Amino acid sequence: MHNNPILRISTKILFAPIILFGLYVQFHGDFGPGGGFQAGVIVASAFILYSLVFGIEAGKKLFPSNINLILLALGGIIYGGVGIVSMLLGDEFLAYNVLGSSPQSGQHIGILLVELGVGLTVSNVMIALFNAFASYDNIKEK
Amino acid sequence: MISELLINAFLVTIMLSIAIALIKTRTVIFTVILTSAYSLVAALMFITLDAVDVAFTEASVGAGISTILFLAAMAYLPKKEEESISSEFVPALSCIILGGILIWCSYDLPEIGQFTAPIHQHIAPEYIKGSKEDIGIPNIVTSVLASYRGYDTFGETIVVFTAGVAVLALLQKKDPAKKNKSQPKQKIRKNA
Repeated sequence: MHNNPILRISTKILFAPIILFGLYVQFHGDFGPGGGFQAGVIVASAFILYSLVFGIEAGKKLFPSNINLILLALGGIIYGGVGIVSMLLGDEFLAYNVLGSSPQSGQHIGILLVELGVGLTVSNVMIALFNAFASYDNIKEK
Repeated sequence: MISELLINAFLVTIMLSIAIALIKTRTVIFTVILTSAYSLVAALMFITLDAVDVAFTEASVGAGISTILFLAAMAYLPKKEEESISSEFVPALSCIILGGILIWCSYDLPEIGQFTAPIHQHIAPEYIKGSKEDIGIPNIVTSVLASYRGYDTFGETIVVFTAGVAVLALLQKKDPAKKNKSQPKQKIRKNA
């Protein structure tokens, strides 16, 4: 697929809007449909599209796999960390009321951070899975 | 009401024909594409039930990313399924019996959207009220998912994480020459 101009150019045009849409879904989940799971998948699909069209090696250059693995774990850590912080502030695990000045703002901050953790984990797991499958036996790279 | 019925009948017909095509096809790539199409129609069905969040998830996860991952994984499978040799009578019979039982049970379900149904009486009113007053978020699905049921979502995230790590641990064993430079290489030479 590396030499098809239609695929190459449309991927280059679509890449940024897909990520923008993913971020919209991520941070607009409080107000409309969406949230961490969907946003993670959408952002991952942008990187997978890039890898599909330009090859796995180019995809890994764009998004190195060691950063991918760090972010993969970081998502879960953020989620659990919000719970632990709320415990340290004197409430139960994952009770967001204590995180902000008022219970409502605390809930907002908590939900935003938790969704961010979900999105990070999901998107990076998807990218890592695709990379693992695609470069498993180096069949794809020929 | 009648237009809703028409839309549902249309979607169910498409789903049924995709399912029949799925049974008939033996080519693996067609199976994957048809599964994706099935998910997309299921997403439309969720929209007719006003479950936009579920529809969104179904469209992005079911029809989108899982298709790509299946395609990536299918590269290591033979291109065609083998014809089954065993008789198809017993599986067909058990499917028909199970489907019959499910349809029979569905007569006991309350009507869709009926206010007096137990599911709308138990804890849902509290969530609907609390989402506005305690959490202050218009999307009730998000407030249930991330706040009221935060533990469950934490578990889901960890499940996704564990699944990813497990697949990486399984698949990266065979391809260590590139990644690990010093020690593992020697180990592999010894093993070989």
